[in-house]
Amino acid sequence: MSLGFCAFCEIAQLRFQREISMLTIKANDNVFDKYADSVTLKRIVQYGSVSEMWGHCLSEYGLMSAVVDGEDLTYSALEKRIALLRGALLENGLKRGDFVGIYAPNSVSFVVSFLAITTCGMCAVLLPPHLNGEAVYGCVLKYGLKALVYDSSLRETVSSVKARCSDVCFFSVEECVSSAESGSSALRPVPAVDVLPSENCCVVFTGGTTGRSKGALLTNGALMTGVRYGCYGYSNVFFQRYLLILPLTHVFGLIRTLLTSLYTGSSLYICRNNKDMFRDIALHKPTVLVMVPALAELALSLSKQLGRNLLGGDLKTVIAGAAVVSPYLVTEYGKLGIDLFPGYGLTESANLVSGNPEMRREPTSVGFLYPGIEARVVDGELWLKGPNMFSGYVGEDEENSSAFEDGYFKTGDLVRFDNDGLLYITGRKKEVIVLSSGEKVSPEALETEFCKSDCIQDCLVCASPSAGEAERLILQVYPRKSYFKENGIGYSEAFVRKEVERINSALPSAQRVSEVAVRDNDFVRTPNMKIDRARN
Amino acid sequence: MDRAEIFEKLKEILSGAMENSTRLDALNEESDLRYDVGLNSVGLLYIVITIEETMNVSFDGVLFDDFHKVRDVIDYIEAHQ
Repeated sequence: MSLGFCAFCEIAQLRFQREISMLTIKANDNVFDKYADSVTLKRIVQYGSVSEMWGHCLSEYGLMSAVVDGEDLTYSALEKRIALLRGALLENGLKRGDFVGIYAPNSVSFVVSFLAITTCGMCAVLLPPHLNGEAVYGCVLKYGLKALVYDSSLRETVSSVKARCSDVCFFSVEECVSSAESGSSALRPVPAVDVLPSENCCVVFTGGTTGRSKGALLTNGALMTGVRYGCYGYSNVFFQRYLLILPLTHVFGLIRTLLTSLYTGSSLYICRNNKDMFRDIALHKPTVLVMVPALAELALSLSKQLGRNLLGGDLKTVIAGAAVVSPYLVTEYGKLGIDLFPGYGLTESANLVSGNPEMRREPTSVGFLYPGIEARVVDGELWLKGPNMFSGYVGEDEENSSAFEDGYFKTGDLVRFDNDGLLYITGRKKEVIVLSSGEKVSPEALETEFCKSDCIQDCLVCASPSAGEAERLILQVYPRKSYFKENGIGYSEAFVRKEVERINSALPSAQRVSEVAVRDNDFVRTPNMKIDRARN
Repeated sequence: MDRAEIFEKLKEILSGAMENSTRLDALNEESDLRYDVGLNSVGLLYIVITIEETMNVSFDGVLFDDFHKVRDVIDYIEAHQ
């Protein structure tokens, strides 16, 4: 048994006779302190609930712009609508602790719904707006929804659900607000209530470790810890302008964009359609963008192709996550004076687990663990425990019993820590390829190696045959076309193959790929723009 | 722009998303944007933004999923330029 410690986090390494390796890591609570000025640091506090945070927002930022979605609403103006929706929920007999669905695209309606439900002590179940009527009905049953708050743009789908759910209340946010404001309803505004950190806050859908969609339950305390983590590690934290691009039904959109924006007294500009992203950037001049790497890559290549900076002159910070961020993106954004921070998180961890602080960045790492997180690395797999962790998957007893052990959540991600405590993601446990020799290969670890080449935008490693024991590794690469233009090199497949060979020959022999396909088009991607392994 | 000019311009834009010149040479109005051109959601976003930026055509209120073939995009540009 060996034991070791490092300066940035507490690490204890244990090796057992039964050949299970285990490494326990506790985050250094002060690791991010030196990357923010004392005034900023003082402002970063832990709220116990959304209700408490929102109360603070109203007292501190009341007359400042909170959300811009066609109209510009201050924090106080937003509260007027939220208070009316609270009134509607309570008047219809809904109670603290009830599960209430939100079915709305990115919009003021979504923001009003989320804040009204959670500041009443109820639990918001976030239904993606692309769900059809049948799926929405299924969620009403599975999560025992007592009410569904929806955006009027989805009225048609909702009406088909309404007909089948006589005991569920349905609220259109716009109708509630406009009828009360015009005096045609007797709806009265109701103030927020105090909510405990242990009370349920929201259910967010995730593929989890098995890929099947499940609802992860987050308490108020977990959610607010996730929001606080999003404020660590960089200097331009408070009073920013955020442009919302990612879906609010995803933790990256909900926690790292909406709630972090509100927490920091910032203004959130809602982009209704991603195709208008650059138009909205030019119009609203955001200072912070939270996005997935595929969008960051698109923004960069279009800027180069059209010969002008589409990211706007005021953009200072890009938070990139939800998929592997190539070091190339960090470097290229740096050339534009924009800090791009790769991080790592999960729906189950209220979005954030680790992040790269300003001035101490390692582009291939996903940074340091946030304060309060405890990690275990068991046979390479990351297990997590901390105040930001979820309570479990709703109605999934079997899944929950296998997802937790010793109070830790088993992420399914394969990782390593370096001596400084920086975290590196090396793959997914379920994606590990077992070669006929018995050796195990993580395709993601190999993909990270190949993506270190600037001429490779993305790649995918799989095994052939796909079932049973693998005989050989196959690599698909999608070249980065802008690289050839920037370097005055005519594109040639031979150049890409030569680069692949250079990297391949430096790998341990068992991990070398034996077949390479150079793609002339991008990979099939999931709705969150990650490469869809099963469909490529 | 007439139809032939729109097609040529579209081909130029699509070349930004396709590396294979043989595949680009084989492009015609019946080519399927997803299966023949190989566009995914990010690729479609790229095409729509580039057309809006360079051809002064707006895709407001349109669902990308409504476009299946190169012909559909040309029809739209022809009607909205």
